[in-house]
Amino acid sequence: MFRRALRLRLGPCLSGPGLGTYRGGSTVDWDGKVSKIKKIQSIFPGGAWSPLYDTSHLPPERSDVVIVGGGVLGLSVAYWLKRLEKQQGAIRVLVVERDHTYAQASTVLSVGGIRQQFSLPENVQLSLFSAEFLRNINEYLAVVDDPPLDLQFNPSGYLLLASEEGAAIMERNVKMQRQEGAKVCLMSPEQLQKKFPWINTEGVALASYGLENEGWFDPWCLLQGLRRKLQSMGVLFCQGEVTRFISSSSHMESASGEQVTLKRIHEVHVKMDHSQEFQPVECAIVVNAAGAWSGQIAELAGVGNGPPGTMQGTKLPVEPRKRYVYLWHCPQGPGLEAPLVADPSGAYFRREGLGNNYLGSCSPTEVSSVGSGCRRRDGERVSLRSQASWEGPTRVLMSQSPLALNWGLFPPSPCPPRGPTKEMGDVWICPCVLDISPIPTSPYQEEEPDPGNLEVDYDFFQEKVWPRLAQRVPAFETLKVRSAWAGYYDYNTFDQNGVVGPHPLVINMYFATGFSGHGLQQAPAVGRAVAEMVLEGHFQTINLSPFLFGRFYFGEKTQEHCIL
Amino acid sequence: MLKYIIPTMMLMPLTWLSKNNMIWINSTLHSLLISLTSLLLMNQFNDNSLNFSLVFFSDSLSTPLLILTMWLLPLMLMASQHHLSKENLTRKKLFISMLILLQLFLIMTFTAAELIFFYILFEATLVPTLIIITRWGNQTERLNAGLYFLFYTLTGSLPLLVALMHVQNTVGSLNFLILQYWVQPMPNSWSNIFMWLACMMAFMVKMPLYGLHLWLPKAHVEAPIAGSMVLAAILLKLGGYGMLRITLILNPVTDFMAYPFIMLSLWGMIVTSSICLRQTDLKSLIAYSSVSHMALVIVAILIQTPWSYMGATALMIAHGLTSSMLFCLANSNYERIHSRTMILARGLQTLLPLMATWWLLASLTNLALPPTINLIGELFVVMSTFSWSNITIILMGLNMVITALYSLYMLITTQRGKHTHHINSISPSFTRENALMSLHILPLLLLSLNPKIILGPLY
Repeated sequence: MFRRALRLRLGPCLSGPGLGTYRGGSTVDWDGKVSKIKKIQSIFPGGAWSPLYDTSHLPPERSDVVIVGGGVLGLSVAYWLKRLEKQQGAIRVLVVERDHTYAQASTVLSVGGIRQQFSLPENVQLSLFSAEFLRNINEYLAVVDDPPLDLQFNPSGYLLLASEEGAAIMERNVKMQRQEGAKVCLMSPEQLQKKFPWINTEGVALASYGLENEGWFDPWCLLQGLRRKLQSMGVLFCQGEVTRFISSSSHMESASGEQVTLKRIHEVHVKMDHSQEFQPVECAIVVNAAGAWSGQIAELAGVGNGPPGTMQGTKLPVEPRKRYVYLWHCPQGPGLEAPLVADPSGAYFRREGLGNNYLGSCSPTEVSSVGSGCRRRDGERVSLRSQASWEGPTRVLMSQSPLALNWGLFPPSPCPPRGPTKEMGDVWICPCVLDISPIPTSPYQEEEPDPGNLEVDYDFFQEKVWPRLAQRVPAFETLKVRSAWAGYYDYNTFDQNGVVGPHPLVINMYFATGFSGHGLQQAPAVGRAVAEMVLEGHFQTINLSPFLFGRFYFGEKTQEHCIL
Repeated sequence: MLKYIIPTMMLMPLTWLSKNNMIWINSTLHSLLISLTSLLLMNQFNDNSLNFSLVFFSDSLSTPLLILTMWLLPLMLMASQHHLSKENLTRKKLFISMLILLQLFLIMTFTAAELIFFYILFEATLVPTLIIITRWGNQTERLNAGLYFLFYTLTGSLPLLVALMHVQNTVGSLNFLILQYWVQPMPNSWSNIFMWLACMMAFMVKMPLYGLHLWLPKAHVEAPIAGSMVLAAILLKLGGYGMLRITLILNPVTDFMAYPFIMLSLWGMIVTSSICLRQTDLKSLIAYSSVSHMALVIVAILIQTPWSYMGATALMIAHGLTSSMLFCLANSNYERIHSRTMILARGLQTLLPLMATWWLLASLTNLALPPTINLIGELFVVMSTFSWSNITIILMGLNMVITALYSLYMLITTQRGKHTHHINSISPSFTRENALMSLHILPLLLLSLNPKIILGPLY
């Protein structure tokens, strides 16, 4: 408290001698010493001191809830907190976002798709509610005197293709999805050929096509709509980086007699951009919605400080993974009815705009560990190529790669179609291979792009994405890559599903992160779930208990198998 | 009186010269002992007053207030221990010195025989309070709160100085003992109307009257716990006490001048109670509840009947203890959750059952449950206003209903229901906190056995 008052009075000259020190006891040498005393210096004309220091750029000194991360998940949590509070103005919410240009945020670099075709019922419910939210967005996010939002929702649906061994699983999943209320239909290869003549149905045994509430939309518009609404509801926004958590621990004994150390976060230090200045924000609750950097925030809060194998030593397994998205032009490509097509090999594409442009990509093969790298014999859809629903197109970053785009650099003749080729480490691209043996040696770093920057690798397109696309859609044999960008997945290395809810040991930290590529489409529903957890203490509408943090310690995977 | 003033002054060297780990123990214990000596004042010889000297006197109006003041110092010290534990030693000692200084001024204010002496000390109490609010309050808004508090009270009380000077010049003395016999009825003229306003406005702002109450929610909410306690329990009563004293010289102008203020208070009492129903901040709710209760006191003092005076004095003491206790309870919540928002800390009954008992008792006394002295005060006021004008019973009845509503709303929101997730691990109640609450509620409950000691001079 003293430090705060001191800061209030001394302003930016923090490093100067403290208020309590007595400079120079003698009055002999006036001229030199006097002008060096900071206080006197500052009250000279032209001095920079003002007694009531302007702190308008700093966050407030206290807030009830601090949300770390201003992407769509963080804003969604803030929205539902303000919406579900019983009286207006009851809770003070502060959203701390490091980069207001959202240059590296996953939300705006996303492909923007939304689907209900998951294998976990909770995921289906989350997406269903989010679709309903997006459809009625102008009732949810209405602000007086502001124009309505246009999300540019293209309800074209998703088309997931399955090979022989994945067909049974797909049928089961579709049955579950229909029970939950999603409108999905199954199509045989013949029906597929009739409906979408541009598809090559070789190797496809079954397809599931979403009829309603699926498609893609503009995530930037959603973000801006949420920001606008939140500002009207009184949520404070602050640009800064969270550098420290001040917390207190208390040692308690659990019911079974073992010692636990519970932590409670008291203050969040928010550092300003390009400056040493920071503001300690006293808070009651912290929500970690930092996306790809959630792991770092969790470490700052002390999650995972402990011997491995204990709850205390369990880290938040969310790390940034870089994924590319390529935009190409193909004059003979699929028409306006084309849904977002996901090949069993992991490549996906969707139509972008009305000029025969398409967006698409493929996630790198996951070969990080033996367990998760296996494909099962019973034909379980492999989650090797992880979590594709990497969706997102609206912001296009031009890459510097010389190989890059720029129309005209590509040979006019179509490249030879590439069939199944052998990859590094004996992983076959073609999913028809029932390869049960654990994937040997190749280190996953060769597959996973380096998440240090957002540079795009066009070789990846040439070698991995294009062949698979060309095999599935013959028209894509002739295409020109216009541009590409890369973005981060907040990748949950444990089971690629989100982490929602409070941490068992750091009492007042709640998570809303780790969705590994399908965070955008579930953001409204997840925001509501976290707000219910904070305000009521339990999930009320959708039960997300399989997504709690405890599963990392207990080892219970909530695996999502329909990863796009 | 020196037997109270000298020990209180000596508490200061006690604080500064104690060993580091003994400052709280020494100051709390010694102030508790001093407060017990204040009970000697109850031994009043006659119906008039107990005169110590030409400068100090105490009668049955100032005695309960004085005992409350001295009782509150150990309680304030107990309540501040936790939030000051992180400060360095000099700051702690400074804080305790501020409290002791404030206590000293308050003791002298309540026993002042001379009205100018009273005025000087009345203003002097502002200084330590301002220092406590702005220096040790929690948020940036405390600077604003301090400004509001200071300037509202100063602006209200400067005309009082002028009026007192005038009375000194005309009547010849401002000594209360003499004034009782030398005062002459004020004829009805414009200058006397302004004189009446000048005398009363200082105390109206302090009470606070509904239209001038803006400083109170700010100051109460931003002050640290000791500041809130002393503000709610004592400083508001300074206004009431002053009004009760100064009406002696203001007759019969009060008969018609009081009307607008009675109306304002009656209306304000209902409005501030209604605001309490919509508050989300716990301390803010208790602050507005104080305004509502004090509005009753203003009405009682202005209608000037024996029963209303009795009700006013009883209500002042009862509200002092209740309000202070509610602030302590809110602070115990705040120290655990670090948020004053009510909905973030719910269902505490399952986790802290003993604290829930204190919450229950405080809420019940706040809503004036029989047979507590809160009810006695309110009942006397309601009866006397009814006989003054029949219609006021509707307003008073409405106020009692709304008071009950928000007190129970506060109780149910904080104590009942399912607890929020993040309060699973709050630390259990400290013995210090339980002692604090019991020391608040015990006098309150014991007084209901013998309320005549707080009914003031007209009993």
